[in-house]
Amino acid sequence: MPKRLLDFRDATAIAGVGYTPFSKNSGVSTLTLACRAVLAALDDAGLSAADVDGLATHRVGDSAPPTLVGPALGLTGLSWHLDQFGGGSVSHAVVGQAALAVAAGMAETVVCYRAINARSEFRMGGTGRGLPVSPEVQYQAPYGYVAPPQQYAMYARAHMLRYGTTAEHFGALAVTQRANAVKNPRALMRTPITLEDYLASRWIAEPFRLLDCCLETDGACAVVVTTAERARALRRPPVLISAAAWGGGQSHLSGAAGDPTVTAAAELAPRLYAQAGLGPADVDVAEIYDCFTYSVVVQLEDYGFCPKGEGGPYVASGATALDGPLPVNTHGGFLSEGYVHGVNHIAEAVSQLRGEAGDRQVPGAEVALSTAQPGYVLPATSALILRRA
Amino acid sequence: MAGHRPEPDRDSREWWERIARHEFAVQRCAGCGVDRFPARAFCPACRGEEWRWRAVEPEGRVESWIVARQPFVPGVAVPYVVVMVRLSAVPDGLAYGNWRGGREPRAGERVRGVYREEGDVTLVDWEPAG
Ligand SMILES: [Zn+2]
Repeated sequence: MPKRLLDFRDATAIAGVGYTPFSKNSGVSTLTLACRAVLAALDDAGLSAADVDGLATHRVGDSAPPTLVGPALGLTGLSWHLDQFGGGSVSHAVVGQAALAVAAGMAETVVCYRAINARSEFRMGGTGRGLPVSPEVQYQAPYGYVAPPQQYAMYARAHMLRYGTTAEHFGALAVTQRANAVKNPRALMRTPITLEDYLASRWIAEPFRLLDCCLETDGACAVVVTTAERARALRRPPVLISAAAWGGGQSHLSGAAGDPTVTAAAELAPRLYAQAGLGPADVDVAEIYDCFTYSVVVQLEDYGFCPKGEGGPYVASGATALDGPLPVNTHGGFLSEGYVHGVNHIAEAVSQLRGEAGDRQVPGAEVALSTAQPGYVLPATSALILRRA
Repeated sequence: MAGHRPEPDRDSREWWERIARHEFAVQRCAGCGVDRFPARAFCPACRGEEWRWRAVEPEGRVESWIVARQPFVPGVAVPYVVVMVRLSAVPDGLAYGNWRGGREPRAGERVRGVYREEGDVTLVDWEPAG
């Protein structure tokens, strides 16, 4: 813990969430998607564009920056913005930084958004796009090792070899999350699947099958961050930001490669929990970055829900199902709802804490954890703990 | 080549030149003696900028591997195997390469690097050390 942390706990809140529909081809620009999601989130909060004085996003050259979204929506007088370069590892850091800006008085109403045509324009896990900008790439790309499904599969196998994690464990996670998506009208994939379906799905990069991998999606999602005090006066039940943490940690870059079965989340988690004054046992619902099945398994360990190496059996026990002790990815997650690069996890946590998650509502949910990509592609991650006011 | 042509940077150009001569080199920090891979100007242990190349045997142990089953790189035949090798000479150094074992790798098995010429580029694959 930093020694001089601002008295931050519960000082800010998420007052609104907004979505565009999720699809395989939005037919519109990322700028249009971003604007629609921002307006939807403001409408949800009972605010108008004139109330906005901050905008924040994260992107890897594939979305609309605040400097375009602001003018496109006629937002003048913005006092704060953030255009964070980064993928899923910074998705929650963006909201944390917006909350800090609000807590510090730099802005009062910040909309954090992510817009992406990840299916029709920019295939994160596919071929045909430029290589990531990193000196690491030159030692990997010549061998055909270029895409996130390959990188995560490599780490997943290391976990399987070390701890005996199995395909059935990963399959249990995919099946459980699909069952949640069946209850989510927004989800792209709503056909129930079985473990047999999982095992029969085609190989992508062994040990990963198709159903280990998230759905690349066209869509946008936004959340409104404001002071807790102001949020209480708005249309929706406020959801307090009890903790927001981000930063570096365990590295898996080839020059400083520690244990490949531990992620940066293991170092972040104690800092996050201390900030909230809560622990894993207090978490009622968890929306955990599931770019792949394995990323949930390893984070269940690194966020302290089960001992190291037992993430697979924990999932297979049913613990993460809607009626289990720790419902995880209640919307179906990136594996079944859609992939908006972290922000739809935050929005789902808000829906759960507002008691508005419909058929998939976790009864009495008061505390939610939501997490970012845990730091396998870069040694950084981020996470939020949210609380019903 | 299974993938893209390597694009050396100013820190790594000599490493690739040495690989072209079939010399597997790591860097040894002149300040604290820690060996490092891949090539960088700074020592992450002591932040020193003085170092020298050190030729080592391309040896290590298999830490993990994948079998690529769909063409993540256009025009490449699948399946192919990529191994992650922890280098004997650099405990914190991971090297990647294509597998030339003729069978699946085994966890923790000792492997050695073998040079492969791809046009005017030399790459390092891995095979069982025997
Ligand atoms: Zn040194």
